[in-house]
Amino acid sequence: MIGAAFSVTLASAQGGDENAFACLFRDIQPALLRYLHVITPEAEDVAGETWLQVVKGLPGFRGGEEAFRAWLFTIARHRAVDAGRSRSRRTDVPLAVTEAVEDPAGPDAAELALEAITTRSVVALIKTLPREHAEIIMLRVVAGLEAADVARIVGKTPGAVRVTAHRALRRLAELVERAGVTH
Amino acid sequence: MPGFPFPGRPGGEPDEPLLDMIIARRVLPPDAPQPMHDLVSMLAALAGPAESGELAGEAAVRAAFSRAASPAGISAAARRPGRRRRTRRFRGPARSRARLATALVVAVAGLGSVFAAYIDVLPSPIQQLAHVTVAAPAPPSSSPRHTGAARTPPDRHAANQPSSQPGSRPQHSSPAPLPGTLTPSPSFKPESPGRRSPGPSCTPVGGHSPSPQPKPTGRPSPPSWSPPAHCTGLPAGPSSVPTLNPYPHLSGIPRD
Repeated sequence: MIGAAFSVTLASAQGGDENAFACLFRDIQPALLRYLHVITPEAEDVAGETWLQVVKGLPGFRGGEEAFRAWLFTIARHRAVDAGRSRSRRTDVPLAVTEAVEDPAGPDAAELALEAITTRSVVALIKTLPREHAEIIMLRVVAGLEAADVARIVGKTPGAVRVTAHRALRRLAELVERAGVTH
Repeated sequence: MPGFPFPGRPGGEPDEPLLDMIIARRVLPPDAPQPMHDLVSMLAALAGPAESGELAGEAAVRAAFSRAASPAGISAAARRPGRRRRTRRFRGPARSRARLATALVVAVAGLGSVFAAYIDVLPSPIQQLAHVTVAAPAPPSSSPRHTGAARTPPDRHAANQPSSQPGSRPQHSSPAPLPGTLTPSPSFKPESPGRRSPGPSCTPVGGHSPSPQPKPTGRPSPPSWSPPAHCTGLPAGPSSVPTLNPYPHLSGIPRD
C-alpha cells in the first residue's frame, strides 16, 4: 500500500500524470493478479480489463486508498464473473469444472509451498480451498481489504466474512501440518 | 492468553485471536503453534512485492492511460460519472426539480393564456380561437354586448377620438355603414403589425345583432383556420371572401 502519499499520487494520476498512474499500477497489480489467479483461469486478461475500466473511471473516483482498492477489486471480480459466463457459453462446460476443486493431494501442495515459499506455490495451496474461502482469504490478507469491504464485494455480512476467513486459515494450517514439515 | 491484543469473542474458538493477528499481518507470539508461524510466512510472501512477470502488462496499461488522459479523453471521462451510484443518487433530485420547474412554467403559461382570454386582452384571432376552444369571451369586434366606451381604454385612443358617441363614424373616413353591419367605434384604432391591442368595439346598427366577424389587421389569417359560418354569415371555407367587410380601408376589398 502507498500510504500517506496516496492522495497526492491519485490526484496526479487524475490530472493525467502517467508516472503517478504507473505508481498505482505497480502497487496494486501483484495483489490483483494473485487474487485473480485464485478465482479465474484468465487472470492476465481479466487484470487488463480491470485496469482499462479503472482508467475510464479514474477521473470520477473520490476516496482514500482503502476505497480505491475496494473499488478496483470490485471491478476485478465483476470482470472475472463476466469472463466465466462467456467462457461457459463458449465451451459448454459446467461451471463447477472451472471452479477451484479441492485437490485430494493437498499435502503435496502444502509441501511445495513450505519447501519453496513463493507466490505461485502459495497461490496453488490456497486454490485447494473451497472457492469462497480462497477468495475471502485473498481479499482480506493479500489485498488488505477490511471485512466490511470484502463483505460488500462477495455479498456477505462482515461477520460471515470473519468466520469464513477463520475457517480458511484453520484449513490452511491443517494442510501445512499434514504436510509433515515439522520445525 | 496474556499479551494478545485481540481477546477474541466470548465463547469463541481459542485460536481466534491468533487468526485475527494473522489476518492483520501482525507478528505472532513466540509460543504460537508452528503451523501458524508457517502460515504467516506463506501469507507474507503472498502479500509481498511484485515478482518477475507480474508487471508485464504495465506498458499496455500506460498506453491506455495516455490515450484516456489526452485532452479529449479527460474531458469526456470527466463528464462521465465515475461513481455511478453516488451520482445517480444525486442526479435524481435535480432531475425531478427540473421537471417540476418545467411543469410549473407550462402550467403558469397556460393559466395566464386562459386568463388573458377571459379578460379579453388577446388579439382578435387568438381571442376567437380561445372563444371556440375554452369558451372565452368572443373578440369585441364580434360581440354584440361590447361598446366602445366600455371596452376601450380612453388614454390609448384619445388622440384619434373625434367623439364619444357610439355609432358615430370614425375619423378615418369610411362609407356609410349599411343596415345590419357592424361599424367600428370612434375609439377604434387599427392595429399595427407587431402591436397588441384590444380589438375594436363594435356597435350594432339598425338593431341588428351581428355575428362576430374576424378583425382585419392587414395580416393574413392562418390558412388552417377559417371563421365559422355563423361568424361571417357565409359558408365557411379558406377561399371564401366575406362580402360584408366593415373595414374595407384596411383590407383593400371594396364593399358592395
